[in-house]
Amino acid sequence: MLSNPPRTCAAVTGLGVTCPIGESTAEYLRSLTSGRSGIRRWLDVDERVLSRVGGDMSDFDLDAHFGRHEGRYAEACLKRARRSLRATPLAAKLTASAAMQAFADAGLMGDVVDPHRIGHVLGGHNLQLRYQHDNFETFREEPDFIDPLFGLMALDTDVLSVTSEVLGIKGTTMTVGAACASGNLALLAGLDLVRSGRADVVLVTGAAMDLDAVWLQGWTIMEALAYRSFNDEPTRASRPFDRRREGFVPSVGAGAVVLESPAHAHARGATAHAELLGAYATSAASRSTRPDLDTQVLAMRGALNDAGVTADQIDYVNAHATSTLLGDAIEVAALKAALERRAFRIPVNSTKSMLGHCLTSASVLELVATILQIEHRFVHPTINLEEPDPELDLDFVPGKARPHSIQLAMSNAFGFGGLNSSVIVGRARD
Amino acid sequence: MTRDHIFTVLKSNLEKVVDGARGKEVSEAQSLLKDFGADSLEVVEVVSRTMKELKLKIPRTALSEANDIGQLVDLFVRAAEAA
Repeated sequence: MLSNPPRTCAAVTGLGVTCPIGESTAEYLRSLTSGRSGIRRWLDVDERVLSRVGGDMSDFDLDAHFGRHEGRYAEACLKRARRSLRATPLAAKLTASAAMQAFADAGLMGDVVDPHRIGHVLGGHNLQLRYQHDNFETFREEPDFIDPLFGLMALDTDVLSVTSEVLGIKGTTMTVGAACASGNLALLAGLDLVRSGRADVVLVTGAAMDLDAVWLQGWTIMEALAYRSFNDEPTRASRPFDRRREGFVPSVGAGAVVLESPAHAHARGATAHAELLGAYATSAASRSTRPDLDTQVLAMRGALNDAGVTADQIDYVNAHATSTLLGDAIEVAALKAALERRAFRIPVNSTKSMLGHCLTSASVLELVATILQIEHRFVHPTINLEEPDPELDLDFVPGKARPHSIQLAMSNAFGFGGLNSSVIVGRARD
Repeated sequence: MTRDHIFTVLKSNLEKVVDGARGKEVSEAQSLLKDFGADSLEVVEVVSRTMKELKLKIPRTALSEANDIGQLVDLFVRAAEAA
């Protein structure tokens, strides 16, 4: 399994985010540098739900968002976006707006590439939970008054399709679902599309999962969420690797990257932010929420092998690190097993300490965070790491960002049901 | 509930949903499909939004009888009288 020769990489030519700590990569970078939390009390979630805090985007204003990006989008694209997203539920608005940023960043506005050679892989599932919940409530009162387009817009594939409609994408498009590893699995699928030559350009979106009260309560009952100590101190709730961590803090946001064959990017004069060098995924063959050490290690080793690099070449890890007791501990053990002595010599941080856990989109947002750190030669802090867990003894960059030069980075994502994944990204070569 | 009020709500939803209706004169003699280029899903959306806003129900099977905006307003008027 681990003896494959390294394969072609994909150039990452576009980045975009719409999430609680940034509605542009510039704002996202500022938050990462300064250690700003995006967690607050939920604005409008049933008061009976025990967990009261998260990364809330329910007050997202699409017109104001487009105002922030004035002049970046082709007129026809903006017109399609305003029309198509007008009555579309939140998850699609967030996802499409992140995708538009990535497209503009890659210089793809204005039909510069044959749209049949552009693919789209959307990472995510169960995306429109709040929208569905609201319509179930309406149905209970009066079945005729549910959203007339419910039968279309409740589908996860509607988020894929409306985003492709806005951007005019006509190649291979699909959704990829893998719980909280969905983003990394979408990157894996996108990389394979580029490597196989099925597409010259692939948009990979980490789709926002718009959460509702029932799901929040469900995860709370399973003891997966932070709900005991920090409901009145939202910005302190997500605390990966800290002794007082007590569960993940859910968040709503979307990320997007444009992958492209290096030859294609070079031929059209596109600038690469970074290179996606490898990706790998394993299954623990279990429906359990309990993380599985052995298959996490295999995912990391597989990604290194797929990228054609060794553990000693990795100089930064963006950890999955959700702030759960068991999850953080097992990931640290897996990092030590996969990277051996190298694990003790490099920074390992958690974007979720600031952003919370964006679930299906988390790993695309974390890839963007990783690439920004590569480009700007720093590592962002793991905030709220105030009382280190003595069992967890790597360099987690507590509290404050610091300069750091990264050539090669690893980014992990693990999902309920033993879904393990890792990707390797490197500095763009001249 | 007056006929004028029903027409105003319907017109407002038509302008919100159908691009081709924005900034144009709307009269009862016009057709959503032919005069404003609405597609069938947009017609459903205009009618459903109006039903919800007015808190009136029109049988879905009756919608196909309405050939123009005036006949659609008639259906709402009948529903209001029956309510």
